[in-house]
Amino acid sequence: MTIALDMLLRLFVWLLLAPLMPGIVNKVKAWVAGRRGPPVLQLYYDLAKLWRKGVVLSTAVSPVHIAGPAVAWIALLGAAMLLPVGPGGAVMAFRGDALLFVYLLALARFCTAAAALDTGSAFEGMGAAREVSYAILSEAAILTALLTLALQSESVSLSTMLAPAAGAGAALLAAGLFTVLLAENCRVPFDDPNTHLELTMIHEVMVLDHSGPPLAVILHGASLKLLLFAVLLAEAVLPLGKLSALAAVGTLMGSVLVIAVGVGLVESLLARFAFRRVPMFLTTAFLLCLFALLVAWKGGGA
Amino acid sequence: MIPGWLLLVAATGVVVGMFSAFRAPRYWLGALLGGALAALTAAIWILGSGSIWDWRSSFPLGGEPIHLRLDALGAFFLALLAVLGGVGGVYAREYWNDRQHPTSAPWGRIWWNALLLNMALVLLCANGLHFLIAWELFAVSGYFLITLERHRREVRAAGWLYFAASHAGTLCLFAFFASLAARTGSWEFGPLREHPNLAPLFWLALAGFGLKAGLFPLHIWLPSAHASAPSHVSAILSGVAIKMGIYGLMRFTGWLPVPDAAGWVVAVLGVVSAVLGVAFALGQHDLKRLLAYHSVENIGIILIGLGFAMVATAHGNAAWAQLAFAGGLLHVWNHGLFKALLFLGAGSVLHATGTREMSRLGGLWHAMPWTAGLFTLGAVAISGLPPLNGFVSEWLVYLGLFDAMAARGAAAWAVIPAVVLLGVTGALALACFVKVCGIVFLGTPRTESATRAHESGWLMLGPMAVLGTACAAIGLAPVLFWPAVARASAVWQPLWIDAAPPASLVTVGAGHLALATLGALAAVAVWHRVKRNGVSRTVTWDCGYAAPTPRMQYTAGSFSGIITGWFGWILRPQRHWRPLQGLFPRRASFSEHTPETVLEQVVEPAGSVVLRISTAVRRLQHGRLQAYILYLLIGLAALALLTLLGGAR
Repeated sequence: MTIALDMLLRLFVWLLLAPLMPGIVNKVKAWVAGRRGPPVLQLYYDLAKLWRKGVVLSTAVSPVHIAGPAVAWIALLGAAMLLPVGPGGAVMAFRGDALLFVYLLALARFCTAAAALDTGSAFEGMGAAREVSYAILSEAAILTALLTLALQSESVSLSTMLAPAAGAGAALLAAGLFTVLLAENCRVPFDDPNTHLELTMIHEVMVLDHSGPPLAVILHGASLKLLLFAVLLAEAVLPLGKLSALAAVGTLMGSVLVIAVGVGLVESLLARFAFRRVPMFLTTAFLLCLFALLVAWKGGGA
Repeated sequence: MIPGWLLLVAATGVVVGMFSAFRAPRYWLGALLGGALAALTAAIWILGSGSIWDWRSSFPLGGEPIHLRLDALGAFFLALLAVLGGVGGVYAREYWNDRQHPTSAPWGRIWWNALLLNMALVLLCANGLHFLIAWELFAVSGYFLITLERHRREVRAAGWLYFAASHAGTLCLFAFFASLAARTGSWEFGPLREHPNLAPLFWLALAGFGLKAGLFPLHIWLPSAHASAPSHVSAILSGVAIKMGIYGLMRFTGWLPVPDAAGWVVAVLGVVSAVLGVAFALGQHDLKRLLAYHSVENIGIILIGLGFAMVATAHGNAAWAQLAFAGGLLHVWNHGLFKALLFLGAGSVLHATGTREMSRLGGLWHAMPWTAGLFTLGAVAISGLPPLNGFVSEWLVYLGLFDAMAARGAAAWAVIPAVVLLGVTGALALACFVKVCGIVFLGTPRTESATRAHESGWLMLGPMAVLGTACAAIGLAPVLFWPAVARASAVWQPLWIDAAPPASLVTVGAGHLALATLGALAAVAVWHRVKRNGVSRTVTWDCGYAAPTPRMQYTAGSFSGIITGWFGWILRPQRHWRPLQGLFPRRASFSEHTPETVLEQVVEPAGSVVLRISTAVRRLQHGRLQAYILYLLIGLAALALLTLLGGAR
């Protein structure tokens, strides 16, 4: 009974809080630009509206177009369930769940990209190609970060890996993971979630032909992914395991808020990169994580 | 003794099948399926009980008494062989039927049975001489299956390359077994771990078995052979035949001592094969050639597991080695299943459209939903994604590697690049298979032939469904298959005899089950919601352009362009480009082709040098008797000189 209750509570937290993230980011952007901006809860209104709307489907599409976003959303939700939430721990903590986490994100990518190619649109093909290509570099960076955490905690389970502080390489790890967060969630400087110029987008261009409930699922999934990465980053760097339960929850929420504000600030202050510079920037993220790994190696006293 | 009788039934079935291949193909199929089922039962028996079936006969063959032996490692490969041999036979009845191929279809059935029989003999022979005979017969039957369509020039070329590479490998194996027999005094083989003087022989085994397995850079024969063969043959070649190389490596690295560097070399070759195999795959436009390069990648993943297990055994800490080895071994099954599924799917596409060129396909999901769905299942599995089997084996390898790093032993440094590159391989494979599924099955048909595509019959779909089910079963309930993996691993390293499954294997299975169920439910729920809200249809959004054509879709080459650019240093793509010129340009064209770099840049130049030297040497042989007598005299004089000088010493 308590397990079911715990599960429900957790689902509510992840599902209900996720759409707040883009709202906060947008509010920060508006604030920096001196505008009033959309309400923080805008995405909730959008989702509710989209869920009730009719759907325009391309004549070219197959069932993949609908199934893709749905499975991707489940995969992201599954990844969220593997992440420990401060003192609450994860739903399923087992040896090797860190790898399942990475590959669930990959599954979501497969589904999204396949659903995009389903329309036969050249733009969406372009977006999907960019998404899967750049993800190679960010996956290398995430795996290196996980190696760092595994080396420190001598564990391959996220709950144990994320409990202690990142140690001497914390700053490097934070910088690397933050860059990956920006890339994987298609934020400036890798992608511009606001642009409507199809030729220059990655993620937004993949969803051009989605509408109605599938689009709602995609948007919610995107916000879930942003929250996921923010929680991962916060827990990787901060020693939440050493704090009392209440303090840990407070710190986690505070740091996720800080990250959301940080994303908003980056988006306000930076311009989007040219595409040929994206691989270089992602390689930098990988190198940052690699240096964090080397620091962890030395710190552990080989 | 029951496994022995079952194997006898299997052999009888396959041999009887050969005799009915011409006149009664229906009996051929029945006998083949019966034989495959018996062989599978025998393999499961051995894997389930952990016993060894051993049978000696006093009847000598080539001067050596026949000795057959089936242990868990052999049974592990035999099970895969039986499954793929059976489903491939069913598939061939429709795919390579007598109506379309009146002459080659019966021969195809005969060589199919010969291939299965000889591969099984390779797994059973416990005598070096007989192993070599079986190996050679297996290679030859493979050649005749690849060249079933002998009237086509490219098929003959591919077959010849396969034959040449195969024999180069066999030559190494002859040297290996002969040296082994010379040093131990017997052709019989078995565990000989206490003979350090046998260690250098490992390099011969690596070259011989490596050529068969197709590890980079010995893979040169693989892409063209697997692409040109009929699809059910490609499936068994990719699924089982190249695994014979892995079997040889696992068998003899387990039984014989190896040099200190062996594990490192295997691991490095594994990593290189994995990354470059998938990089080359991304550059291909031919569906089956692309799949063939993925075999190189997956052999690499298997070798990463084997290589690190060897490193660990050499350094005495066997705890994490077991996970890496088990991952590599399970990947043998997994790759066999999903690669065969993908090749059969590609065959279905070829059957329906008559082309393997991805740029001529597209939109096949509408015409052939079952093929498309099963192919996509295979694509998800080969990309190593949960909840299917590819993830389970890669996950085991990862666990082994992470533990190796936590142990901070000798291998820890090497593990870091291996983990990162294994991750990169996975992401590259994902990119490649998104491309394949997207370009071939999604979107709209690019050519007339793709528009006229039709779904295959149940004889072709049934085998694919069986393989797809097997992929899903290993993914959803990996713990059921663990005993087989553990028993086969214990043959390689007897210390692992009672290895319990990693505790989290059950959890992974449960997680996969939840993921599959919830994913399906979510898809259905969203679809219901879409239906309820109402659907209207229109053309794909192309920035307001109202008449998009199939030619405006993204192409396979463009899709992989970013990544092939990164690997340009080794792929060396050849571009033919006629740019737009003038104010009113009339024509422009762009085409790109990724050659087989190792073959064209290394092997062919080396071959032409050898040919030139041979031509030069041939001048000595001109048919003039006087000159030959002169050679004789010079030879005799040289011998006399040698004897005199030798005598003086």
